[in-house]
Amino acid sequence: MIAIPLLMLAMYLVHIGVSTTVDPRADFYLCLPRCQDGFDAITEQYDLDTNVFLRPFSYFGGLFSGEGLGQSTSVGDPVSEVMRTRAWNTAMVAVPAFLIGVVLSLLLSVYSARRQYSIGDYTFTGLSFLGFAMPSFVLALILQVVFAVKFEQWTGLKPFNTGRKTGENFLQLARDVTLPAVSLAILGIAADSRFGRSSMLETLNQDYIRTARAKGLSERTVVWKHALRNALIPLVTLWALGFSVLLSGAVVTESIFSWPGLGQVFLRALGDADLDLLMAIVMFTGVLTVMFNLVADVLYGVLDPRIRLS
Amino acid sequence: MTTLDPDPDVDEALDDAAAARALSDAEGLSDKPKSFGRLAWERFLGHRLALVGAIGLLVLVALFWIAPMFSEFEFDERDVRNRRLGPTAEHWFGTDEIGRDLFVRTAQGGRYSMRIGLIAALVATTFGTLMGTLAGFFGKAWDVLVNNLVNLILTVPAIIVLSVFANKFGASALGLALVLAALLWTRIARVVRGVILSIKEQEYVMAARAAGASNSRIMFRHLLPNVVGAIAVEITLLVGSVIVLESTLSFLGLGVKPPNASLGTLVADAKGDIDSDPLRVLTPGIFIVLIVLCVNFLGDGLRDALDPRAKVADNQNSKKAKRAAKKAAKELQRTAPTMGVGDTTVVGAHARNIVSDRNDEESGGRP
Repeated sequence: MIAIPLLMLAMYLVHIGVSTTVDPRADFYLCLPRCQDGFDAITEQYDLDTNVFLRPFSYFGGLFSGEGLGQSTSVGDPVSEVMRTRAWNTAMVAVPAFLIGVVLSLLLSVYSARRQYSIGDYTFTGLSFLGFAMPSFVLALILQVVFAVKFEQWTGLKPFNTGRKTGENFLQLARDVTLPAVSLAILGIAADSRFGRSSMLETLNQDYIRTARAKGLSERTVVWKHALRNALIPLVTLWALGFSVLLSGAVVTESIFSWPGLGQVFLRALGDADLDLLMAIVMFTGVLTVMFNLVADVLYGVLDPRIRLS
Repeated sequence: MTTLDPDPDVDEALDDAAAARALSDAEGLSDKPKSFGRLAWERFLGHRLALVGAIGLLVLVALFWIAPMFSEFEFDERDVRNRRLGPTAEHWFGTDEIGRDLFVRTAQGGRYSMRIGLIAALVATTFGTLMGTLAGFFGKAWDVLVNNLVNLILTVPAIIVLSVFANKFGASALGLALVLAALLWTRIARVVRGVILSIKEQEYVMAARAAGASNSRIMFRHLLPNVVGAIAVEITLLVGSVIVLESTLSFLGLGVKPPNASLGTLVADAKGDIDSDPLRVLTPGIFIVLIVLCVNFLGDGLRDALDPRAKVADNQNSKKAKRAAKKAAKELQRTAPTMGVGDTTVVGAHARNIVSDRNDEESGGRP
């Protein structure tokens, strides 16, 4: 439960960090005597006259006394409104990416553990090395080149879109979501499947698995019911942590596939010195991270009764 | 070899002896036990991937630092008549949209990325080791402080915090490296803390304390040398992740600022032409992947080499070594009577025993 005061301290520090590194008045210094009104308006809006170390208190004070998250200058809507629509868009990519990641890393870890040192196992080991070394933007660009640009040149078909088009029915949505979701998912799979493989290998070597085999259970029951359940425990926590990473990893993927999500608007807010929106996004990701950390801890306790939460 | 009056018999005998010594040294048959460093070096050489990584890194360093000297272009030299050229004999990787030579720019970007990776990893390692040692050694308040500091840094996703600060301080390589290091020391601190915790209660530390050694002496003489292996592995992992993060930030326009190039900014520059010239996007991207792959392979090898419990890199190698050792022993026994130098015959007589000793050691003994 130390997480909550820590989160508050982190937010305090982040606010100081954001307001010292991002200057919303940067454009005004050159024209100062003429545009004094605009300069003062911005100073007023963000309390820029107050001491940097005190500013977070007025910001968070305003937050809880009902002033809300403020107005976004770069998008032109209230911050809460921007956050709602953008978070929804990000979730549209992050949730499929999460599901793809979970299913594939699960299958891969079971496969690699069952067929240790087979050609398939070596192939996936090599691929995961590649996955570790590949920055997300390189992977996303490769996917974009191959499946969106070249695929159309080769076959004349365009199965996937790059970016959010207006189509609302499921098929349209799937065409838009596939590429960003897959490129987000693959990076997680590289790490998760390695981890799952060693966890599964460890479980398969345990005595109770030999007992299960000895009493004549089918291989399928042994692997998928007895072994997997225990091998899953560390993986589940990894997934819970990975979900919050997905939401933030979207910064790169969204900017490449021009997806109007949180990551994209974060970069815009950073470029336009949109302090209120920036703070809202940082807070949102921070709260999510802490929340999923807690979820991971709780899940760990639920799945493995030997572990007691202190 | 420098005898004034060469006697063919003596010469031959000396050659034989030297060859036998070299052979027995190479196969680990000499009586002198090998130092840990020597063993680690041999295990490292036996690790094929690590060798690939090391050689790959050397090639990349040569490519980034030395090869541009043979090119007549500067990394920020514009030539508007030769814009968007494909690869030619003059411009090895072609030119960009304002006619700058892409090979020289790529090399410059590679240098920049590698330099930032190294600086950030070294700073993060130093600070992380310090914090981890303090937390592990003194415990109590220090431990609570360091743990909470680590958790504090992990509350907000790194890329978000990095973006905010890199945007401000990323213009210089040193600034960007320091921003990255400020967030990445946490892992090392945890690893070091763990190692220190596990060894500080051992008898030899207690003995040192009983003998009146000061805290700093125990820390630097008795504890930190045990952490070196773990740290070396972490450094390579860290260099890899710093390079990935740096290129990501630079790709987003938050890190390295023009006219300087990093591999990330080169990808970003080329992104607009991705439809017509996908190769230009991929080249810097592939270099990033290559650097990080090589560094990771190196780390993998180091992990095996510096593990004090491992004697030989892996089973296959140890089998090979045993076979070679047996062969050498036979060879020596056959040639021993013809050799005139006493102490090599001893080697010949003991060769088999040593081979069996090695087998015992491999089945669980510690060096």
